Amino acid sequence: MLISRQWLSELLTPGALPSDDAALCAALTSLGLEVEGCTRHGDGLDEVVVAEIVAVAPHPGADRLRVVQLHDGRGVQTVVCGASNVPAPGGKVAYARPGTVLPGGLAIGAKPVRGVDSAGMIASEAELDIGGDDSGILVLPIDTARGQSLAAALPGVRDTVVELSVTPNRPDALGHVGVARDLAVRLDAALQVPQLALPAVAPAEDLVALQAPSRCGRYYGVAFEHATVAPSPAWARVRLHRLGLRALSNVVDVTNLVLMLWGQPLHAFDRAQLAEGRVVVRCAREGERMILLDDRELTLSAEDLVIADAREPMALAGIMGGQRSGVASGSSTLLLEAAWFAPAFVRRSARRHGVLTDSSHRFERGVDHGDGLRFACAQACAWLSELCGARPIALQQRDGELPPPRRIVYRPARAAAVLGLEVPSADAQRILAGVGVALDTADAAAWRCVAPSHRPDLEREVDLIDEVVRHYGLDRLPMRMTPPSAPATAGRPAVRARQRTAAIVTDALRECGLHELVQMAFGSASALAVTGDDAAADDIVRVTNPMRTEAGVLRTHLLPGMLDAVALNLARHGRPLRLFECGRVYRHGPHPVDDGPCADIDRTLPHEPMRAAVVLAAPEPAEASPRRVGEALLHALARLGSAATVRVPAEPVAWLHPGAQAEIVADDGVVVGRFGRVHPRALAPWSLPRGAGVCYGELWLERLPDLRVPRYAALPRFPASARDLSLDVAVDLPAGVIIEALQQAAIAVAATGDDPPRLVAGDRARAAIEWLEDYRGEGIAAGRRAVLLRLHYRAQGRSITDEEVHALHMRIVDTALVALAQRDGALRRR
Amino acid sequence: MSDDDALTRMRHAFAEVELPATRTLDEAYAVKVKYLGKKGLVTELSRALGSLPPDVRRERGQQVNALKAALEQAYDDHCRALTEQAEQAALATFEDLTDVVAPEPGTLHPLTRTRRALERVFASLGFDVADGPHVELARLNFDDLNIGPDHPARDMADTFFVAPPPGSRWQPGDLVLRTHTSPVQVRTMLERTPPIRIVALGTVFRRDDDATHSPMFHQIEGLCVDEGTSLADLRATLYRFVSALFERELQVRFRPSFFPFVEPGAEFDMQCPFCGGKGCSVCKGSGWIELGGAGMVHPAVFEACGIDAERYTGWAFGFGIDRMAMLMHQVPDLRLLFEGDVRFLEQFPC
Repeated sequence: MLISRQWLSELLTPGALPSDDAALCAALTSLGLEVEGCTRHGDGLDEVVVAEIVAVAPHPGADRLRVVQLHDGRGVQTVVCGASNVPAPGGKVAYARPGTVLPGGLAIGAKPVRGVDSAGMIASEAELDIGGDDSGILVLPIDTARGQSLAAALPGVRDTVVELSVTPNRPDALGHVGVARDLAVRLDAALQVPQLALPAVAPAEDLVALQAPSRCGRYYGVAFEHATVAPSPAWARVRLHRLGLRALSNVVDVTNLVLMLWGQPLHAFDRAQLAEGRVVVRCAREGERMILLDDRELTLSAEDLVIADAREPMALAGIMGGQRSGVASGSSTLLLEAAWFAPAFVRRSARRHGVLTDSSHRFERGVDHGDGLRFACAQACAWLSELCGARPIALQQRDGELPPPRRIVYRPARAAAVLGLEVPSADAQRILAGVGVALDTADAAAWRCVAPSHRPDLEREVDLIDEVVRHYGLDRLPMRMTPPSAPATAGRPAVRARQRTAAIVTDALRECGLHELVQMAFGSASALAVTGDDAAADDIVRVTNPMRTEAGVLRTHLLPGMLDAVALNLARHGRPLRLFECGRVYRHGPHPVDDGPCADIDRTLPHEPMRAAVVLAAPEPAEASPRRVGEALLHALARLGSAATVRVPAEPVAWLHPGAQAEIVADDGVVVGRFGRVHPRALAPWSLPRGAGVCYGELWLERLPDLRVPRYAALPRFPASARDLSLDVAVDLPAGVIIEALQQAAIAVAATGDDPPRLVAGDRARAAIEWLEDYRGEGIAAGRRAVLLRLHYRAQGRSITDEEVHALHMRIVDTALVALAQRDGALRRR
Repeated sequence: MSDDDALTRMRHAFAEVELPATRTLDEAYAVKVKYLGKKGLVTELSRALGSLPPDVRRERGQQVNALKAALEQAYDDHCRALTEQAEQAALATFEDLTDVVAPEPGTLHPLTRTRRALERVFASLGFDVADGPHVELARLNFDDLNIGPDHPARDMADTFFVAPPPGSRWQPGDLVLRTHTSPVQVRTMLERTPPIRIVALGTVFRRDDDATHSPMFHQIEGLCVDEGTSLADLRATLYRFVSALFERELQVRFRPSFFPFVEPGAEFDMQCPFCGGKGCSVCKGSGWIELGGAGMVHPAVFEACGIDAERYTGWAFGFGIDRMAMLMHQVPDLRLLFEGDVRFLEQFPC
């Protein structure tokens, strides 16, 4: 919303506005009318004056130029002018004296033009940036006094225009009157708004028919005749130009001026185009069609409100006029509409048809249906008479359902409690009265208030409290720390546990030298299909109005986003990458929810589990190791106090290398993640550099065991004893399987009795079973490897003998080897 | 040749010949064993004393003991010398340690860092961290926050809608990507009884994409509900928060504004932490930095959440974590946060 300082000053006690623009902007901001910009106009136009044409003669050397003698108040000047609309002697024009620099940067001097001396220039609106017309020079009314500066003759020439960002609760501030009303309270000035009476004409009976009273609360129709459609006078054109509107014709300009003054959208119909010369406010018929002023063709429904003539819709009520409703140059009879339409209907209609206009913007926020509407209508009538010579001949007011008056009780004590600030009663009353609230303070503890019709946002006591503190000044608010009345209620332990788990995993992955990244939650269905082996199409969360089709679903997996980052980095530079992310993935379907009042809702919402993903990538495959990915993930689990094991998955996933993937099993036996080399076919859509290696792994945080407070275990007091085991095994018999077989064997053959030796952490190693060597090559058959393991034994409360260690070790190894022989028939001890 | 000569020769052979020839402690020890061990030459002499007559034995015994002591002394001296030599030899080496480099440190994303800093400060002010889903019911995202279906404020947040899955009880338009963290306010008020003090930090979504807007960004929301708490408490809390976060005293100011779920509503600014309010390039000379919105919980929100709006008052505030992160780390473009260029990410090691 653009606000003209000049116009604002006309609506307030003279001199009330701070002379400094910055102070004005500060005052507006402090009232909640946020200033987005502030532009001064006309500063360089001091030497542009009103001049009177004295004589006009043809230029001796050019057909299209004229030599104009004019009087600028100081004397007669000679100017060569190329415009075709130079008025006859006596006419008034805007003369830029030599030395003037026009807003476009053109410096005016005195120099010969085709051999004739020319001093200064006769300017057009466009050259002075006071209007859009560049077809000829600006011609001023003949009674304008010569010699005065143009700024004095046309107040809008020098002006400051403030751009306000008006919050949706303040439709009143979408017009100069509303802004002036707020400023009047702040500046302790009087509001001086022209409050005109409606034209004194006989009330008409058949001008307006109101058939949709629930959607149109009030409708003034005023009929005019003898209108002359022509350009508006300069003052109106300047004013509209400053406010960012294009001057069109006097009739349209009048409606726009009233819009800017009162914030009230109006419509002027060419009455000659209205069948039977009257309007009907009615719901559209299903399927009815109309063409708007901007040539859009709409198919209407019964939900739309139209202003029709006796036959067909002429305007979409409160939104835009129809093609035939507009006033053309030949129109002489008019029907002016000033109305109040129910905000919700205007909003829905405008949204449904995608037609958002200055008019719908105001109606859907709620314009004044009381005094403001009447004054706006009366102002329009006055200006139509003044600018267009139109004569009102008939007027009809129709009322439908208007919002009831809002009676609100204001308790000063409640205000003090909400604000933590006691606003003196006199100030509160002055403020409330100033914004238009009708007050009865007979009961000093509970003031009876009626909110004004121009402030539809004032509905409850808090709204009045807001008005009071807004005007009294939020900067006067003290700082106070009221102690809590009781300890705050705590949240659910489960929620906190999840937050803690995510934080520890994040820290752990960072400790592994990985860089955290944050990816968009959006993805494309095709990219996610790469990991689609476990995502049913119906479960994918789809955005119905995405910004781009490739961001049309919520991610079900972190891999595609990670690959986006890999591709971007490898394209920009060739450094090896070590990245991780901890974030949510989304999927419809049954899932566990936290108990509570929202549980029923949460069950119907998508599941949003947290995942941690690690990616290592490099231009050379050898530089990216899936082992490092696994180590990082295991480190994260270790940091959660969870001892996890790794195994070859029973059901490998298709998007990882079939021979280089593993799954991670937490100590409670639950699979909590997987890692491996990314399958080359899964990488294909990202067109990475040829040969690039990408390793990926992830943890499913929702499956991780709950965090436990670590508990002390007694330190070993007696020495452990170690035995080595050397095996010849197939290369594809996984270490995890061998170790697990040994662990199972240890459980199976566990000695009974008092404090027997057990397979436990050693003295020099934390693990009970160490994987020491993995050798292939000379001396070992192809397809086989020699592995060396070390097993540690210890009893809790005594030293163990070599004999009992040996016996236990042999039983464990023998049992394990029997089990392993099923996987690898050639397995043997070395 | 007298026995004395034999002892002298033995001393000579041990101390002058065999021991000096050894180069390691092990070799020296072997020599010592040869003379002084259980079956050593000197030990043999001692053993032979028993067969001597008592008068000779006494004198001879003293001589053998003196020899033993002399050899022990020679041995200790030699070992000390050997140890010293070995130590000197070991110290004569040069190990170049000047080529060490730090292993590349892992990094946290600036958003994570900022988020944690905020959580820490608000925890110290007695706030608990609450959370909610990203795909949210429109009712919780809008209606219960006093933003009815026809409220113009629904335009303030251009909303992403989520298609209900087949068989869902929801209609198109019922599910949205939350446009702010404020639905967590509603969830918290439904779940807990006052007094309530929470912050909710998380991802939010709006249909907006340019240098200063991303369709996905992050917000923090604070909520306090209690008897007798007021706008003045909110101002004091925000003052303490910004001062604690930037570890210097910074003032907070309110400008009236509008958010449907608070009334009175305000935007709040903090004094620029870089210049302390004097004016600098970060605050564009104004001395102030806009942070976010705040206000007293609207009674309509209390009513939607079943909280007695007469007995309790409450306040809420919210601001963008991304902007705060950009401010703290002087990041010029929001998009840098989300594109994942490692050369950006690695700039935040601590």
